Amino acid sequence: MRKLLAWLLWLWLSAVIVGAFLYAPLAKGFIGQSSRILFFHVPMAWVSFVAFIAAGVWSLLFLRGRDPKHDRAAAVAVELGVLFGVLATVTGALWARVMWGAYWNWDPRQTSIVVALLFYGAYLALRSSLEDRDQRARLSAAYAVLGLVVAPFLFFIMPRIMFSLHPQSVINAQGKVEMESRMVQVLLGGSAGCTALFFWIHNLRCRVQALAERKSALYE
Amino acid sequence: MLAPRTTLPGGAVLRRNGYIPHVLTTTTALRFENVRRRFGRLSVLRGVSGAVGPGEMLLVTGPNGSGKSTLLRCLSGLMAPDGGTIEYSEDGESLDAGGRRRRAGVVSPDLAFYGELTVGENLEFFARLRRTPPDRGLAVLDRLELPLDRMASALSSGMRQRLRWGWALLHQPRLLLLDEPFQNFDAPGERIARELLAEHLAAGGSAVVANPSTLEFGDVAGRLDLGR
Amino acid sequence: MAVFAKEWRGEFRTRYALNTLGLFAFTTLVVVSVSLGPLGVSLAQGTAVLPVLLWIILLFSAAAGLPRAFVHEEETQTATALRLAATPSALFCGKLLYGLTLTFALELLVTPVYVAMTSLTVKSPGLLAGVLAAGGFGLAAGSTLVAAIIAQARAKGTLFSVLAFPVLLPLLLIAVELTRGAVAGDAADVALLQLLLYDASVTVAGFMLFPVVWNP
Repeated sequence: MRKLLAWLLWLWLSAVIVGAFLYAPLAKGFIGQSSRILFFHVPMAWVSFVAFIAAGVWSLLFLRGRDPKHDRAAAVAVELGVLFGVLATVTGALWARVMWGAYWNWDPRQTSIVVALLFYGAYLALRSSLEDRDQRARLSAAYAVLGLVVAPFLFFIMPRIMFSLHPQSVINAQGKVEMESRMVQVLLGGSAGCTALFFWIHNLRCRVQALAERKSALYE
Repeated sequence: MLAPRTTLPGGAVLRRNGYIPHVLTTTTALRFENVRRRFGRLSVLRGVSGAVGPGEMLLVTGPNGSGKSTLLRCLSGLMAPDGGTIEYSEDGESLDAGGRRRRAGVVSPDLAFYGELTVGENLEFFARLRRTPPDRGLAVLDRLELPLDRMASALSSGMRQRLRWGWALLHQPRLLLLDEPFQNFDAPGERIARELLAEHLAAGGSAVVANPSTLEFGDVAGRLDLGR
Repeated sequence: MAVFAKEWRGEFRTRYALNTLGLFAFTTLVVVSVSLGPLGVSLAQGTAVLPVLLWIILLFSAAAGLPRAFVHEEETQTATALRLAATPSALFCGKLLYGLTLTFALELLVTPVYVAMTSLTVKSPGLLAGVLAAGGFGLAAGSTLVAAIIAQARAKGTLFSVLAFPVLLPLLLIAVELTRGAVAGDAADVALLQLLLYDASVTVAGFMLFPVVWNP
């Protein structure tokens, strides 16, 4: 069953990659082939936010039931969030360079990703500074929930501030450009695929960590 | 096996089964089973069990590092065990870890108080926190001969131990959890503390006492040796 | 609240937090004023930059002084006695009130001096007062909870800044924007409501998360 799902996932992602280059047309107003990067950048940024919310939800579940599984899930979600977030930032910066001539613009989306990465970094720093397993789980879960509470405010105030300070960044191509249906398809397909990929890796990593913990417990 | 009868001043008789002529109505029951606790790779408590009822004292012995303090911390609710159960009830009302924290009287070597406040201010502060009228515990403070106006940071180690006892008894707890309770005491201090402990037990309270060396104790309802 | 009274009584005896906060705030204030005061930059640049720096000064002063509320308890080991005697909500409430009074005192001290030394003309002082009140509240509330979290960890000093900054970022952004508005003479904005909403959220989250953080 797992094998089947794995194959399905790889097939889907391959289709997305192929589609990104061959199936979807180029977007208007973009330089050369650069719009292709959208199909990778957007899903990765999307997954990075999924990771944020997932970590928060798992932390809440942990605080409710104190099940170490949930704590592990939250920590792994944050780790993956860092991975996808960094990838999203890098692809975004490359694209920004091509499009607007500069790597960094403090465009709302870029800023949101950076703040998410700051949260992730803080969470991981907290975890690495606590040795007692229960304490570590408890405190990092509390911080994750705090992050979840605070994060929506960033999404609300971001547009206001950005629009008032940097009007030229308003032209965020994704929102404004009309997309042909094929582009939308690949984009959504990519997002779905990346999300599935996230949960796939997450599941694998959780199982690996659980086994590692059992192994170290055996050496008592 | 009956413990020897002890007659306390006032005519009260202490028997093993806890029948006391004049006593407060609260009954306490503490029971813990299979308590386990690890610190990283070090397994400090490996399935410890015991029980103590009203008027009884449980003596926990064992060499250094055998987990006596850890066990007491778990019992007082300051630490959560990795496994096992701890059940505590007063008057049939079962209390969780938070309840144990608030109700138990704890004496422990790592209890510290605010050095920048006086002894009296410290006790008054904690009495207000616990919502006990401070005058209730004043009789105890008199017995312990605590200098209420001295800064807590200027206390000798023996006086500090007396302060810990005073703090523990301030809210008239039904359960005493004592970790090395006579540490740093001079002879009068130890005598006063033993009297307080005996009176507590006579009135129907319970106690769990941890000591590295088996000091002389009178009626001990149970012993728990954590030695390896 | 008993905790609140105790904190301030201890504080008056040692004056640790007030000294640290005050000294830090003053030093940064002098540096900023000298370099960016009327002699340093033009008026237009000043109005754009100075509100930001005011909040930076407040943020870092708070980071220097507020964590002590919990870190000190853990370091002097009085935390054990507190865990046994106090209910978590009462304790958090007391520490929060202490943080609030400290922050407001800091703001009261810093802002007038800052405005004077940089010759900043504030056209809506009412709005400025509102921003400082709401922003200071959020600053204290967020810092108190984060302080409780890091108090049990190692490397407490740096860890506090690392953890607190992302949490306080929305607050700072709104506060800076509103302060700019106050300088420019705007009326109160919906952003003030957002700030108050933030304050409420963080405070509620604090009360709900604190028992988990404090007790095992």
